[in-house]
Amino acid sequence: MWLFVLGVGSIEPSAQWLNYPTPGIPRLPGGAPNLKAPAPRTPDGKPDFSGMWFANTPSRDFCKEKDCIQEERMAREQINLGIKLKDGLPYTEWSKEQMKTRRANGGREDPHAYCMPPNFPRAWTLPQHSRIVQTPGMMVVLHEFNAAYREIYLDGRPLPVNPNPTWNGYSTGHWDGDTLVIETNGIRDDMWLDIQGSPITESARVTERLTRVNFGLMQIEISVNDPKAYTRPWSATIEMALIVDTQMLEEICMDNEKDTRLYKK
Amino acid sequence: MTNRLPHLVICLSVCLALAPAAWAHHSQSEYDLKGKVEVEGAVTKVEWRSPHAWIYVDVVNDKGETVNWSFELPSPVTLMRRGWTRDSLKPGDRVKVTGAPARNYPSIAIANFIRDDKGKPLFTGTTKVNESESASTPSR
Repeated sequence: MWLFVLGVGSIEPSAQWLNYPTPGIPRLPGGAPNLKAPAPRTPDGKPDFSGMWFANTPSRDFCKEKDCIQEERMAREQINLGIKLKDGLPYTEWSKEQMKTRRANGGREDPHAYCMPPNFPRAWTLPQHSRIVQTPGMMVVLHEFNAAYREIYLDGRPLPVNPNPTWNGYSTGHWDGDTLVIETNGIRDDMWLDIQGSPITESARVTERLTRVNFGLMQIEISVNDPKAYTRPWSATIEMALIVDTQMLEEICMDNEKDTRLYKK
Repeated sequence: MTNRLPHLVICLSVCLALAPAAWAHHSQSEYDLKGKVEVEGAVTKVEWRSPHAWIYVDVVNDKGETVNWSFELPSPVTLMRRGWTRDSLKPGDRVKVTGAPARNYPSIAIANFIRDDKGKPLFTGTTKVNESESASTPSR
């Protein structure tokens, strides 16, 4: 769980609302957020996933010294979404060739490096934060990277047939008890699932099962059925930590992107 | 976090190549991460913009020439969450910067440490991680 150094009891004017207490959340006697409190529910009794979330599976630190400015924690699954699978992701021969090329190029073809949109489900694992806004008929997921959004319809509509492929595809959700099951199709044919370049294609059907374990923790089981890229369906579970007492910060990648120029020699 | 170890071993060959240090929006393969740059000079410009902040530092080399170095920093978003502000470094500030050089470009590097001219760390802010919260969950 990421917590930011806060002074909940003392609100001082500062840049934005980086350390501003989130109202209406359960707190411990000392004022700290009670992240082990039960998951909140909407008026209709469904679990409420609303809030700001960050992948809660930090990888190792590359810089050990205290003043290393590159200290940054990121989800292991950001590197390899199948990292917890015993045999790894079941790549097809086509996928293996894609991976070989992408690896040989040092990951320089990663759409993310070129400031392309944060495509889900990959976006859950990125270092930027997501914010879920849940209403009875729709869940909206906002993302800091490029100030992006994703719509998940909860109004019972079917998935589209032969839709125009997009970065996030088309998503509908339904409830399985306290788990929200999100189905997605219509993903573009050339998307990456992680830094190492695991592909996801237009043939994919993605199922995300969201469970809010408690107030501070959400699990997402990501299941991918993509016969072009994988020999069989597979699932990976990631954990998301609730981020409170701060705010979303926009990160518009094209604002001052200067790394891809360094690829060119 | 003993359960990290197997994953890290599996990950080593790929991750070291593709995901060093503070990967934020690119693979960093443009930098020689085993190389080291250490310079001292005066900040001439700060670019506090996404996806990465950059600082520029005038450095006098062995020949007495002034070279303006470019150093890539984490994103302003990451830095702000660690307590930095857009005014934390200003033109004229004397700094010692340690980092990894760009593979094919002289005087461009990614910064790992920024200290004052006496070697004192200028920034030590960090985000806090409550590992027990994660380790106690059913999926692990």
